[in-house]
Amino acid sequence: MALQITDLVKRYPTGTEALRGVSLDIAEGEFFGLLGPNGAGKSTLIHCTTGLAQPTSGSIRVFGHDAIHDYEQARLAVGLAPQDLNLDWFLTVEESLDYHGGYFGMPRRERRERAKELLEVFSLTEKRDDRTRTLSGGMKRRLILARALMHRPRLLILDEPTAGVDVELRLELWHYVQRINAEGTTILLTTHYLEEAEQLCDRIAFINHGDIVAQGTSADLAAEYGVSSLEDAYLELVGRKELSRAHVGADAA
Amino acid sequence: MSAAQIRFFALVRREVNRFMKIKRQTVGAPLLETFLYISVFGAALGTRIDKLHGVDYVVFIIPGLIMMAWAMNAFSNNASSILQQKFQGAIQDQLSSPASPRQLLLAFSLGGFLRGMLVATLTFVAASFLVDVPVEHVLVLIPSLFLVGFFFAQLGVLIGVRAEQFDDVSFAQTFVLQPLIFLGGVFYSASLLPEPFQTLTHFDPVYYMIGLVRYGFLDYSDTNVALSLLLLTAATAALFAVNLRLFLRGYKLRA
Repeated sequence: MALQITDLVKRYPTGTEALRGVSLDIAEGEFFGLLGPNGAGKSTLIHCTTGLAQPTSGSIRVFGHDAIHDYEQARLAVGLAPQDLNLDWFLTVEESLDYHGGYFGMPRRERRERAKELLEVFSLTEKRDDRTRTLSGGMKRRLILARALMHRPRLLILDEPTAGVDVELRLELWHYVQRINAEGTTILLTTHYLEEAEQLCDRIAFINHGDIVAQGTSADLAAEYGVSSLEDAYLELVGRKELSRAHVGADAA
Repeated sequence: MSAAQIRFFALVRREVNRFMKIKRQTVGAPLLETFLYISVFGAALGTRIDKLHGVDYVVFIIPGLIMMAWAMNAFSNNASSILQQKFQGAIQDQLSSPASPRQLLLAFSLGGFLRGMLVATLTFVAASFLVDVPVEHVLVLIPSLFLVGFFFAQLGVLIGVRAEQFDDVSFAQTFVLQPLIFLGGVFYSASLLPEPFQTLTHFDPVYYMIGLVRYGFLDYSDTNVALSLLLLTAATAALFAVNLRLFLRGYKLRA
């Protein structure tokens, strides 16, 4: 199992319960989607998995390694491309990759080769010596993904990777992540774009109010909610079925 | 190098890289500041002040200035670096790496420590061109300066981790550190102070630090050298223990 989350609870000191006993299994090689409205607990789940948040209770295992007690091995296996463009302003594009590789214990020569390869793949070679703050939004997004891939993670976590990117870059990113998934990398994707989840993911889970409320293939989810599409299933989840295209179409007619 | 060593080295390199990229501000400005202190207090005012404990006034203040340079740079570097990275979210790259809390704490500490060492060394070299700076007890001086640097590096980490805005850092620097350092006797000998200020000075930890460093350079100290060294070691170890506990808990770093 690539990721095994059992009864995960995260309660913040303010009393807010962001995760209320989440259990989730993602198999090795799977492309898994996590959908839910803002504040549902998607990012908290990711943060607990990557050590950015500390779970209140429950367990997280990454390729069998406990994310709390054996965090070193667990984190080595994970690459995180966060939702926020959290690049270090003081570093250049190439340094961002090089330092990240260093944090993950990669020797110098390997870092150089890998950085060169990723700069090429993400069309950042010409920008290698530019400070990250001077990059356009799309380039920052590409660099975030390249950085996440730098240490060759077996589980890649993409937290809304295509939020605010243009169509061209979105398609580029889709192609790339599909390719690395086909090469064996397990992927956990959160997104607000339902067609993205539908097109890329083998299985999808709906998360709401800190709970996984349904999971399965896109067709399974539609069947579970008794509707014809993933979008309608999602609208059922968030209690906004009046927004369904079927309803809107019928009303217009 | 092992993976853990590569990781630690990368964390330290990042901190050094940051201050070297803005070296006009992080190295140039403190050097100029120290040069101005030496010029104004030493060369200008100092000519009108008698020798203090057998040495020229300008020479008397240089140990304190070197120590102050190390202390202030170690502190402000770490406090600013950590707070900036928290603001940008860039610190998540280190926090989600396999680096242990101990490695993270030591690497963040070393950034300021090394910047302080660089500025203090350059200050010493520059001062040596202007006046003859003796080094009487190198075996007391080096450990003392290292302890002072590490103490203030730890303090910078503590404030940086706790801070939620830049005002928190500048408050600590302007309203706590600067008065403690100035009133600890950088520019004068505490033995010259009238009561109750002479006694009050004994409650200022920086007084003992300056005593040690001055003894290392000039063979003169207002304080008991062995006791000061012991107190400084204990204080530095205690502060490191506090920070390590915070890092192990992920205090204000991990949600």
